[in-house]
Amino acid sequence: MKRRYALRFSPTLVEQPIVSKLARAYDVDINILNADVASGRGGKLIVELSGSQDNLDKSVTYLGSLGVLVSEMVKELLFNQDSCIHCGACTAVCSSKALCLNSEAKLSFDVSLCVVCGLCVHACPLRLFEVSQERGA
Amino acid sequence: MAKTIAQINEKIKNGSVVVVTAEDFSKMAKQQPLSCLCEEVDIVTTATFGPMCSSGAIINFGHWSPGIRMEEITLNGVSAYEGLAAVDTYIGATSESKFDPTYGGANVIEDLISGKDVRLHARGKGTDCYPTKEIDTWVNKQTVNEFYLFNPRNAYQNYAAATNSTSRIKYTYMGSLLPRFSNITYSTSGELSPLLNDPYLRTIGLGTRIFLGGTQGYVVWNGTQFNMRRERNEMGIPKLPGATLAVIGDAKEMSTDFIRSAYYEKYGVSLFVGIGIPIPVLDEQMAKQLAICNDQIDTTILDYGQEGHPQVGSVTYAQLASGQVLLDGKPVKTAPLSSLAKAREIAQLLASWIQNKQFYLTEAVHTFPGDSFVKPLVKREGGVQ
Repeated sequence: MKRRYALRFSPTLVEQPIVSKLARAYDVDINILNADVASGRGGKLIVELSGSQDNLDKSVTYLGSLGVLVSEMVKELLFNQDSCIHCGACTAVCSSKALCLNSEAKLSFDVSLCVVCGLCVHACPLRLFEVSQERGA
Repeated sequence: MAKTIAQINEKIKNGSVVVVTAEDFSKMAKQQPLSCLCEEVDIVTTATFGPMCSSGAIINFGHWSPGIRMEEITLNGVSAYEGLAAVDTYIGATSESKFDPTYGGANVIEDLISGKDVRLHARGKGTDCYPTKEIDTWVNKQTVNEFYLFNPRNAYQNYAAATNSTSRIKYTYMGSLLPRFSNITYSTSGELSPLLNDPYLRTIGLGTRIFLGGTQGYVVWNGTQFNMRRERNEMGIPKLPGATLAVIGDAKEMSTDFIRSAYYEKYGVSLFVGIGIPIPVLDEQMAKQLAICNDQIDTTILDYGQEGHPQVGSVTYAQLASGQVLLDGKPVKTAPLSSLAKAREIAQLLASWIQNKQFYLTEAVHTFPGDSFVKPLVKREGGVQ
């Protein structure tokens, strides 16, 4: 399986050959999609790891143990439901029907149907939606 | 037998009043004849909670020492009207911040209602009696003298639905309209909406006490763009936007549960206003109007993609509320913009206030014009400025 992660390094961690160690120790293929790293400054890598689920999980644990901040690159919709007034404006643009008004005219959000198109972000007059790119791993 | 408002108020006082919401009344009317219903029920509560752009607040800040004649006023960077004596202002809901177009007068009003401090900046030219030229301070609802909503146009009777024929998404005050007639938005609480239950404003006039933003407010005039010349259906409901109300109420007593700021993408700021109006069941004719159902309320669909918003169809609110309507034979998704759930909450809350003897009905001091209509602004050249 493949997963994308954002790895954030402190200035001291940048001095260690972490990526090659990861490949050797956990048998994962690493594709660096974006790198912004400099000696003495720290930085961020966006990588795609391919391998077994077990090895991917171990890789994340290993990186975490070194002090690398790891977050999975997952696009997901965040919804501040507590502030919702149930106007229904978001349902106008939600073609996947993740956002619907229920029989009591209250807004229901079925995350399993959401395709993270982001149209509701602009449709909500209370600006209660946000598309997040990363999730803590 | 016909009832009077005084008799109904007497029933509130002695605890025998019967109050139901307009939705419940419409259901009851399917089971019982109107003649029984108007005997049994005294008051029907109606409500709406939708974006109402023509809203705003009057504020008196109190005098600075030495005095300032405020001639340029901002609250959290949002411009407020400067032409009202020294320290009075009117902040309109749609006035936008110079720094952040998603923040405006509606947000300032909401912030003040919630008890937050708001930054006041004002300038004046300096006069013998008001020598101060500039102030920069903080105010909140406790520090100001008066802070009341005065909304020139609220509670629209039957707003038209919106769609978009063009090939691009349109961001409007009617929400995000998808290209090529892919959705229709509408803004109403339908059979629960105040002016659809009393379409000729027989019981609503100057001085009518109402629920406004979580407290008791009043109808103080007909709203702007008050239009009584629209074509009506057999139930007396205008097929296009008709009557409106100007309302007033003490914002210090309001709650952000019923007053909320809103931002419509690429349009601007607006204010969700919660309004509830009790309608007395005076006689059978009144009961007939109050029994109205969504399938008896027609509205027009306008194309917001074209200049002048031409009409492209006609539907009932029952069809709109079903989630899908046919437009030129093609099914189109529908979505509301005003909150029916909140409107229901307001109608129930108002009913409980009446039952608990906290709210009495008022007789209108003056009824609104029956023949008013809306004129456009016409271009006119020449003359000297």
